Amino acid sequence: MKFKKRTYLFAIVPFLALCILFEIVPVIYTIIRSFMPEGGELGFTLDNFINIFSKALYQKAIINSLWISILSSVIGMIIAFFGAKAVHEGAGRLKQIFMSILNMVSNFSGVPLAFAYIIMLGNIGVMTMIGKNYGIEFLANFPLYSVWGLLLIYVYFQIPLATLLLIPAFESIRTEWKEAVALLGGNKTTFWTKVGIPVLLPSILGTFSVLFANALAAYASAYALLMNNVSLLPIRLSEQFVGDILQRPEFGSAIAVVMMFFMVIAIFIQNKVTPKQGGRH
Amino acid sequence: MAYIEFQNIDKFYGKNHVLKGINLNIEKGDFVTLLGPSGCGKSTLLRCLAGLEQTSSGKIILDKEDITHKDPKDRNIGMVFQHYSLFPNMTVKENLAFGLKLQKLPAAEIEKRVKDSIEMVELIGKEDEYPASLSGGQQQRVALARGIVMRPKVLLLDEPLSAIDAKLRKSLQTSIREIHKELGLTSVFVTHDQDEAMVMSDVINLFHDGVIEQSGNPVDIYTKPETSFAAGFIGNYNILKPEEMKKLTGKEWQGDVAIRPETFLLSNTPITSGESYKMQGVILDRVTRGNVLRYKILVNDVEVQADLLFRSASMYQIGDSVQVALANHNCVCL
Amino acid sequence: MEKKKHIGSKAIILLVIIYLMLPLVMTLVYSLFKEWIDVVPTGFSIAAYAELFGDSAFWMAIGRTIIISVLPIFLCTVFVLLTMYVIVVYHPEWDRFMQILCTIPYAIQGVILPICVLSLYTSAPKPFSDRMVMLVATYMVVILPYIYQGIKNNLTGVGAGRLIEAAQMLGASKLFAFFRVVIPNIMSGVTVSVMLAMAIVFGDFVIINTLAGGHFTTAQMYMYDVMKKSGQRTCAVIVVLFVVTLLISGGAFLLQGRQGKRKERG
Repeated sequence: MKFKKRTYLFAIVPFLALCILFEIVPVIYTIIRSFMPEGGELGFTLDNFINIFSKALYQKAIINSLWISILSSVIGMIIAFFGAKAVHEGAGRLKQIFMSILNMVSNFSGVPLAFAYIIMLGNIGVMTMIGKNYGIEFLANFPLYSVWGLLLIYVYFQIPLATLLLIPAFESIRTEWKEAVALLGGNKTTFWTKVGIPVLLPSILGTFSVLFANALAAYASAYALLMNNVSLLPIRLSEQFVGDILQRPEFGSAIAVVMMFFMVIAIFIQNKVTPKQGGRH
Repeated sequence: MAYIEFQNIDKFYGKNHVLKGINLNIEKGDFVTLLGPSGCGKSTLLRCLAGLEQTSSGKIILDKEDITHKDPKDRNIGMVFQHYSLFPNMTVKENLAFGLKLQKLPAAEIEKRVKDSIEMVELIGKEDEYPASLSGGQQQRVALARGIVMRPKVLLLDEPLSAIDAKLRKSLQTSIREIHKELGLTSVFVTHDQDEAMVMSDVINLFHDGVIEQSGNPVDIYTKPETSFAAGFIGNYNILKPEEMKKLTGKEWQGDVAIRPETFLLSNTPITSGESYKMQGVILDRVTRGNVLRYKILVNDVEVQADLLFRSASMYQIGDSVQVALANHNCVCL
Repeated sequence: MEKKKHIGSKAIILLVIIYLMLPLVMTLVYSLFKEWIDVVPTGFSIAAYAELFGDSAFWMAIGRTIIISVLPIFLCTVFVLLTMYVIVVYHPEWDRFMQILCTIPYAIQGVILPICVLSLYTSAPKPFSDRMVMLVATYMVVILPYIYQGIKNNLTGVGAGRLIEAAQMLGASKLFAFFRVVIPNIMSGVTVSVMLAMAIVFGDFVIINTLAGGHFTTAQMYMYDVMKKSGQRTCAVIVVLFVVTLLISGGAFLLQGRQGKRKERG
């Protein structure tokens, strides 16, 4: 009787098995492995982490990754802020076209995006050639195959994501608030600094965390553009496990843990700020 | 033996004691209302009867049968929900036929019963519409039809009218009453609206904080409240403390007293009628409520409310002095 | 004043549109011309597309992509639905844990999850060390947040708990009520998240590259290989795949819009 009553619990077995086997255990295994000495023998050590933070190659990867993630998120946010504000202030048909384009280009990322930039600004890219023909230094010598080039690509995929996330937040700004500020003697700047931005702040922070995590984890565009010749955390992580150089799973696990640490912080911030948004509706 | 018997029903949500030893009998054919403010346990008791909630202890008997631990599907009870809960992917007809098909009734029988129910709730012509294209009132009519189409032993109605606007509510109240009588149903109705309870019920059970505060027919409930909660919830009783009553009447009182506002007599000249307390007061405020004028009067330092029928000839102004009389028998001791 | 504001916001939108469309348009034009070394490209030709569509390897790659997206999405949807049955009907309080399990993939997005899976299972016993098993399971975890959120929003939207109660009062069992009453009502909504998940798997390069390397050439891997050979053809592949992705996500978008309208009407 008791057994029969609980047969419904079998329904959660497939889901639980999936989460345990391919989500929880791999992550825990990676965390444990990151504290084990290299070479495979048992033991506890912090060497892997010490190595990451002390060796120039990996310091560089952390700095580059954080730098490019933060900067691309900030630039993306600023452009998205004005984009979403423009949408909010409403321009009928153009607004609809803009929304469709945002949805469309949010699918344009990874390898195709990197390649599009290669044909535009690569060594024999169209704009590079035009720059050479007409003596436009900036185009002719554009440093695409560097972190600056990567930044340009990252900003590209951050914009649609950020704008799409911010537009709903702008919807929560009511015209009456603007009218109230105007009646109380404030101007547009007063409105945005005293009301608009404070109201949007949780959304802005939440969106920023999403963008940050998105950029930090991005792998395909960097790999397609520069293979392993760029010091970024995802690239350094991947090459410890796959590819031609000597595989160092314990050390690689430590890189993964460092990345997860940053991701968790980003998601934690996002979770902290989003409930307020939900409550307002 | 009553048709439905609740015997010592207790219900806990965690540490929250929401039903405290409820004993209640419901007779066959009655329209019984569970009335009370939100969170008083009335809906929980209804859902226990439906089988959607399990009681923590106690027994529920329906038609001489212990149904305490039966699944809802085996209880043969119909239910109308506050939010209609129609199946959005099915037409009106399909919604009504749903349960009948599960019972594997012959197609002709299903057809007939569905048709009858649709007629009864006056929705002829809407059979093939989807719920989303009906108004709220129409949707609730479908839900009502779905509740009776199974010919249940009991029809439960869980605040079915609270999401519907005032005008439609009146017509639905009438429909529900009529269907109840026509089919000879036993109905249990949950509401927080005392007017609605008065209009619809044979018996009202007033709930408060997990217990039944008072049971009775609408007239008794209205005129003879037994507790200050009952007096406060039903009507607009003046509830006065003993010391206030002393100021008012000059007499000693034990316990609170409830006075219905329409029982005060007001006059410009001294009132000479018999068995009553006579006082003098000053009008503090006046509110017009349709056919009734509500005065706030200060009598011997006590504020009371008095309702008078709207007659412009005898309208008092704020600040007027008035003679006030209160009949002895209209002071209900709680 | 009003007018000026509008012009300002229009200009901003236009600028952003140009910035976003430029790489796309250039890719399209590049795929259609033999040479482009000055402002105007020369030698219009659809040879790149003809070559592409004539290449059986391309079709094989598309086929593999379809298999590798459909299987995980189907399984993931079924798994989540089964679990939601238990949560909605018996243990609503478990939803908290489900939500956590379905949020974790965000924290291990990109290269982290496939690396963790690979490092755990490369030398594990048989079914686990199979690259296909790893691949399918990893995709399932990656799309979990989207499928879960889609299903949950739709269950809430349709009032699953109430529908189940109503069905029970009409003589249905809980199981019947969930699978025969609730599920048909959320199916079109779930299709939207399924299509979004499809677009995600379709565009994946990281996971396939990490877990399968060159052993299972999907459309994205095919594109990566062609990249080293011919610019025109790569652009053609990009355009074709992008159009396919657009059709998938555009379909989802339309479906969502239609549903929105239906709800408003009701």
